[in-house]
Amino acid sequence: MRRDRWIAITTVVCIVLLWQVAISANGLHAKVPSPLGIVAAIAAHVADGSLPSALRDSFLRVAKGFAIAALIGLPVGTAMGMTPILARAVAPFLDALRSIAPIAWIPIAVLWLGVRGDAAVFIVTYAAVLPLALSAHQAVRLIDQRLLQASHALGAGWFLTLRAVIIPGSIPVLITAVRVSMGFAWGAVIAAELAVGVKIGPGQGSQGIGQMMIETLYVRRDVDTLAMCMLCVGLVSLAIDAGARGLGRRLAPWKV
Amino acid sequence: MRARLPQRVLPPLGFALIVLGSWYGVARHLANPQLLPSPWTVGVALVDLLGNGDMVDDILASLGHLGLGYGIGAGIGLIMAALCARFAALETAIDPLVELLRPIGAIAWIPFAILMFGVGSTVPVFLISYGAAFPIFVATLAGMHGVDRALLAAGQALGASKRMLITHVVFPAALPHVLAGARLSLGVAWAAMVAAELTGSDSGLGWRLFWYQEFFRMDRVMAVIVVIGVLGVAADALLRALRQAVVGWSPEDSNAA
Repeated sequence: MRRDRWIAITTVVCIVLLWQVAISANGLHAKVPSPLGIVAAIAAHVADGSLPSALRDSFLRVAKGFAIAALIGLPVGTAMGMTPILARAVAPFLDALRSIAPIAWIPIAVLWLGVRGDAAVFIVTYAAVLPLALSAHQAVRLIDQRLLQASHALGAGWFLTLRAVIIPGSIPVLITAVRVSMGFAWGAVIAAELAVGVKIGPGQGSQGIGQMMIETLYVRRDVDTLAMCMLCVGLVSLAIDAGARGLGRRLAPWKV
Repeated sequence: MRARLPQRVLPPLGFALIVLGSWYGVARHLANPQLLPSPWTVGVALVDLLGNGDMVDDILASLGHLGLGYGIGAGIGLIMAALCARFAALETAIDPLVELLRPIGAIAWIPFAILMFGVGSTVPVFLISYGAAFPIFVATLAGMHGVDRALLAAGQALGASKRMLITHVVFPAALPHVLAGARLSLGVAWAAMVAAELTGSDSGLGWRLFWYQEFFRMDRVMAVIVVIGVLGVAADALLRALRQAVVGWSPEDSNAA
């Protein structure tokens, strides 16, 4: 394992070095992003505060949209798990909605909510709510039937059953669902900010990282800043993943 | 344990009626088709667009993007996975690259793709390939690593050549994973297609969304959304049917990547 790690580090270092050398040797600085250029872009955008502020705006949108999605999706999914007839009625509908890419709603979201960022929140909510609801449904179905029978035999009402059996029993599945749907939500906010930016042009709009990419693309055409934004998008995805895993270890230590 | 037909069909039908009914009610109440077109207007727009051929052109353009991009992406994913399974050194070398690129997601490449290729069909094709390559790569590699050692040993003991081991043991054992990965890839590709067409293309269903919005034809926007949903369901059903036909013997959940 240690040897593998060294090979991995060496490969990355070699690629970065070769990449830099190739660009320096050919004088391609303005056309292709270079490692040094990306570092310089990060330094410049952190110093003037635009990168942290763009990341914060995008992330707040994800948090807001995700919170709404959780407030809708988790109760609906749990209710579906507890009442089969509801599940039979709603599940095909949710499945069908899932094959509409969230970003397809952007013209309507812009129309209803405006370009300042609420449209992006809507897209985030849409992207996260369907996987959350379907996983909550799945989570309840996977609960050990004997536990449900036992709580029934011991005279628990539906509320006690929900609180003592169903919610704790769903947590491991839900953690995975949170991880996956938060990832979708992050992709969706970037897509929404990009689409809004393309639509209304630079200078206004959502102020998130997607908007920053559009400004870079259409105004400054600075490939290093563009690559910096992409790197940040990737790092936030990794952070979301790690955060959800950490939450899982804390909330359901018996499972993870 | 399958419910009888009326029990399976009636609840979703009832729910669909409730949804359509309330949609219709709200739309009637607002009486503003530019804000919320009623389901009826959307249906009319859909028939209209299908009838005059506009929608067919958009669908064909999108399917062209999807077919080309998915073919390239899934092909690269499959070939790389096979090479990585065969040459362990390649896998160690390529793994950090994959882990570096995978979280960046296809969407984040949109501005870069627009810069490189300009607005046009290349942007969606590039993004679809990028998005489709990773899930099938990861699933196929997992499938090839997961081949039962005992089966390989048995094959060897029975005198199978290296080639026979690959065609008769490794390939069938990995196939369910490959197909599961293909399905995941298609889902990612579909979303990438819509986003890329919306932002960096001059044809396809995604591009049409903003086009119709320019003219405040929300009925047509909704009609395009409906078509995107229907085609998405159809494409997924196609791959599921393929899976069922080819590896119906393998239980569905054991090959989730």
